[in-house]
Amino acid sequence: MQKSKGYRSSFRKYMGRYWQLYAMMLVPFCFLLVFKYGPMLGNILAFRRFKPLTGPYGVSWAEPPLRYFKQFLGQKQFWTAFRNTLIISIENLAVNFPIPVIFAILLNEVRSVHVRRFIQTVSYMPRFISTVVVISILSELLSPSTGLLNRLLSTVFGIPRIYYLNEPVYFRLLYILTDMWQFTGWTAIVYLAAITAISTELFEAARIDGASRFQQIIYITIPSIMPTIMTMLILSVGNLLVLGYEKVLLMQTPTNMAVSDIIDTYVYRLSLGATSPQYSLAAAIGLFNGLIGLILVSGANFLAKKITGSSIY
Amino acid sequence: MKRSENKNKIRERKSILSFITIPVMVVVTLVCIIPFLYIIAMSFSSPAAIINNRVSLWPVNFNFDAYRSVFSYPNFFRAYGYTLIFTIGGTLISLAMMVLFAYPLSKEQLKGRKFIMKMVVFSMFFSGGLIPNYLLVSNLHLTGSIWAILLPFSINQFCLIILINFFKSIPAEIEEAAIIDGLGYFGILTRIVLPLSGPALATVGLYTAVFFWNSWFYPLIYLNSSQYPVMLLLRNIVNGSTLAVETGGSGAQFALSISVKSAVIIVSSLPLIVLYPFLQKYFVKGMTVGAVKE
Amino acid sequence: MKRLFLFVLLICLCLRTFTAIFAEGDAPIRITTYYSDNPTLPFRDDWRALTYIREKYNVDLVIEPIPLADYSTKVTNMLVTQGDDAPDFVLGAGINGANASLALNGAFYAVSDHPEWTPNFNARVAEYGIESQVEMGKLSDGKLYSLPAMYDTPAYDGGLILRQDYLEKKGFDAPQTFDDLYEILRAYKEDYPESYPLTTIIDIGYIERMTMPSWGLSLGLYNSTSTNVLSWDYENTMYYAGAVSDQYKNYITFLHKLYEEGLLDPEMTQDDASTTRKLASGISMATYGFYDQINGWENASEIEGFDLNLYPPLTGPAGAHHMPRSSTFDGIVFPVKTTQRADFEQVVRKVDEIFFSEEAILIWALGIEGETYTMDGDKIIFSDDILNAPEGAYKYMQTAYGCGTPIERVFINALDMAKYDENYAEINAKVSAMDHAIQYTVSAPSFDDLTAEDASLMQAALLDAYTVWNDAFIRGTKDIEDDWDEYVKDMQDKGIDEFLALYNKYNKYQ
Repeated sequence: MQKSKGYRSSFRKYMGRYWQLYAMMLVPFCFLLVFKYGPMLGNILAFRRFKPLTGPYGVSWAEPPLRYFKQFLGQKQFWTAFRNTLIISIENLAVNFPIPVIFAILLNEVRSVHVRRFIQTVSYMPRFISTVVVISILSELLSPSTGLLNRLLSTVFGIPRIYYLNEPVYFRLLYILTDMWQFTGWTAIVYLAAITAISTELFEAARIDGASRFQQIIYITIPSIMPTIMTMLILSVGNLLVLGYEKVLLMQTPTNMAVSDIIDTYVYRLSLGATSPQYSLAAAIGLFNGLIGLILVSGANFLAKKITGSSIY
Repeated sequence: MKRSENKNKIRERKSILSFITIPVMVVVTLVCIIPFLYIIAMSFSSPAAIINNRVSLWPVNFNFDAYRSVFSYPNFFRAYGYTLIFTIGGTLISLAMMVLFAYPLSKEQLKGRKFIMKMVVFSMFFSGGLIPNYLLVSNLHLTGSIWAILLPFSINQFCLIILINFFKSIPAEIEEAAIIDGLGYFGILTRIVLPLSGPALATVGLYTAVFFWNSWFYPLIYLNSSQYPVMLLLRNIVNGSTLAVETGGSGAQFALSISVKSAVIIVSSLPLIVLYPFLQKYFVKGMTVGAVKE
Repeated sequence: MKRLFLFVLLICLCLRTFTAIFAEGDAPIRITTYYSDNPTLPFRDDWRALTYIREKYNVDLVIEPIPLADYSTKVTNMLVTQGDDAPDFVLGAGINGANASLALNGAFYAVSDHPEWTPNFNARVAEYGIESQVEMGKLSDGKLYSLPAMYDTPAYDGGLILRQDYLEKKGFDAPQTFDDLYEILRAYKEDYPESYPLTTIIDIGYIERMTMPSWGLSLGLYNSTSTNVLSWDYENTMYYAGAVSDQYKNYITFLHKLYEEGLLDPEMTQDDASTTRKLASGISMATYGFYDQINGWENASEIEGFDLNLYPPLTGPAGAHHMPRSSTFDGIVFPVKTTQRADFEQVVRKVDEIFFSEEAILIWALGIEGETYTMDGDKIIFSDDILNAPEGAYKYMQTAYGCGTPIERVFINALDMAKYDENYAEINAKVSAMDHAIQYTVSAPSFDDLTAEDASLMQAALLDAYTVWNDAFIRGTKDIEDDWDEYVKDMQDKGIDEFLALYNKYNKYQ
């Protein structure tokens, strides 16, 4: 009795102090429940047979219940796509994760505010050119018959014309380069914001101590934006399996299929692009992807916490 | 005094860093701006000049035909209006929601915080697919209403996490002082935290604005065609004309000229490109506020 | 106060009754639908053909323009969910694949339930003698779920397009066979060693779909049987494994020869601008494309005397055939939700009237007599603005009047030809005179749900494998002789034999 009273009073004290914080997030939390968790029930379709017009949850359990998982887990193509997705993602992460950080740090070294703003704006512009257009500019540039690059290389250096977009060896390189072009300036915004939030007195103190600009970056800038870097890294690792089908589909040719087929394009062919969409199969693959993503993000979060002390939860 | 300043400058100029910084910045600027200039040049050139490779970075046979034909699309301006509504309304609602959510979640001592964070992260990976989403919006009687776009996407987990991260970096001492002064958390949020969060809000606001500006899929599914944003129309011009369609009596294949497509790219991206330099002052402002507060 | 209230109430009641009576007599019936909005032909609600139909048939036809690029997404989602915002009917929905399974699950009204509600449609089917093709559209439950769009005679709207000026300059006759084509391409390559004489629109699938029928084949993404890897044996009316047949081996040998000698453009996927650039600049001199595209290509070129023309299908080992085309295609479907309307019968009757009645067909094709055209005996004389339109009558009538748009459901060859130039009519006459140059497309069998799932999965794997091998054979990264057995084995491992057996088991034509 005494104990529960004590508990109650400490609870009251706790709520007395923090009730405003709970009140604050009441509405957004409900939004999360309704708009993110509500539709999540639809994932049950991965285990059920879908019939149109009978609601999103299917009509009966699939037989066997894992029918749709077996359908793709037993396919060689799926595993090829799985492997390709991981390779492209990891290579892309290795290159395009550090680049915006470096770019943001270097940009911060540009002294003139006007020049800095100009470069910042210019670097952000490619984000607004849709992927279709990016790939069409790329194919125009690389065309074996009309492309600028091939004309240059063959007339000046006598290098034979190569159909770069079709060659499997160039696929990943081109994927990563176009991603770099499109998103470096865009992603750098987060880091630029983090850098501007660093207290200027830290830099002043360092300068008085005689630290060079390079040392300031190493000992002040990078540690200060480390939490942001880690957050972005954890989220990127969680999304390793999610590349989106649009860009790859545009770059895909039968010749480069062995390296370019990814999970998203595989699902696209089975559901959206197919003669009859396989909702249950798509749901099953989605669930599988989500599970892997969750494992990756938890792992990355765990490691980040162990190593750098910052994590997202 | 003056001399020492000069000395400083010389030292800076000589630093190894600028040997890296200057070339990198020049390359980035060129690589990013040249394709854009090329697109702008094409949008003002005649289709024949483009096809015959006569356009480089300067328009050939300068004309406004492409823009004229983009602006003369039926209901172009109405669609642009809806895009503005979605972008402005969506960003404001979204920012409000995310700030209210992120601030409590940035408090380590809050009970249940970890669980809610895990819920947020979990929801990033299991979305449920299109049909359940549609039925939810339909059951809430939101289809055919602009709220179908403004409400369901107001919490973006990615931006939320970034925002939480920023709030965490605000020194706890400032808040503790405010609490001793008798300020509640609502007061702290609006009077202390938000003014300090210029760069964070600008970043997340920009990301959100671009999300709403570019979104076409959910408007397509949830809204009536009279409420479609301009992005659907522009997307149709850029993508639709590359699709081969078989219609009845004839192939009805009339390719749209590259100049029209180029004009579409400019028209659809210009407002947001222009917006960015305005937001950049918040990046600097965040810094000065940070410096002043000491 | 009470009195006043009663009085007001009374007046309101009277007004309501009046308006109700008034409405029953005259108010147009409101019917909603979607339109696949092509960016080259943006929908206008004030198209004269449309407003005239509304007036004449007293119908409030509400058309929602949906961007073409995303039309199927919108329609599929609507059909699967059928929410409050679903339209009363859909234009241009085929009852095959996903829609067949939707239909069998009751997503559509079966139009064959009340043939008496569609007298005009029935009359057109009888008039064009296409009963058997409509019959083939019925599903396994014996019901017809769509009112298909129809041609009286399928048009030859695309095919081999090449530089007539080059042919004339070099003294070549119009090509008759694929060997003729080969000679022409080779001559061009000799004259211009840097060129790739034959190029493609969109992707190589377009060349394949238009040339394969001359080998008795139809394979790949755009095939005519919607099986991707099987082909149709027109003699025995059954499927055969086209992808692993000798016909295919011969065909791919021919394509490989073109590629090997630099006659076929190695860029086998490209956008329209790229195709245009190559043709206009003389890097290429031939393609398989659509008649409508010629004008754009000619306008883009700065070469003196540049002249492209469309040629009839060439003769191959299995005769001269163009890609198959049916007299019926994607038609009108009514989502089952519409049947809940009290006036559903009127809706169906009205739709039948405004799309399939003789007068309506004329309006959708030619506009309004006295406004857009006049009749001089049997001859159609268009108004001056149409005759003088620089983009040609067909295109002008589409954009200015809404005639010949995707709303049109019945296409009468003679009317279409009247809107095109004489050259087009001549080519079409030649093709019609040939022996079955345009064969019928095969109506897909309808499977039960589980079979459809299995078939679809097998098909996806087979198509993927075929696509990769096909490309490798053309480019010579796989040798047609040496690697053929490995290829056949791969296809067999992916179940082409079972797939064939499945399709022949459910074959509707046996």
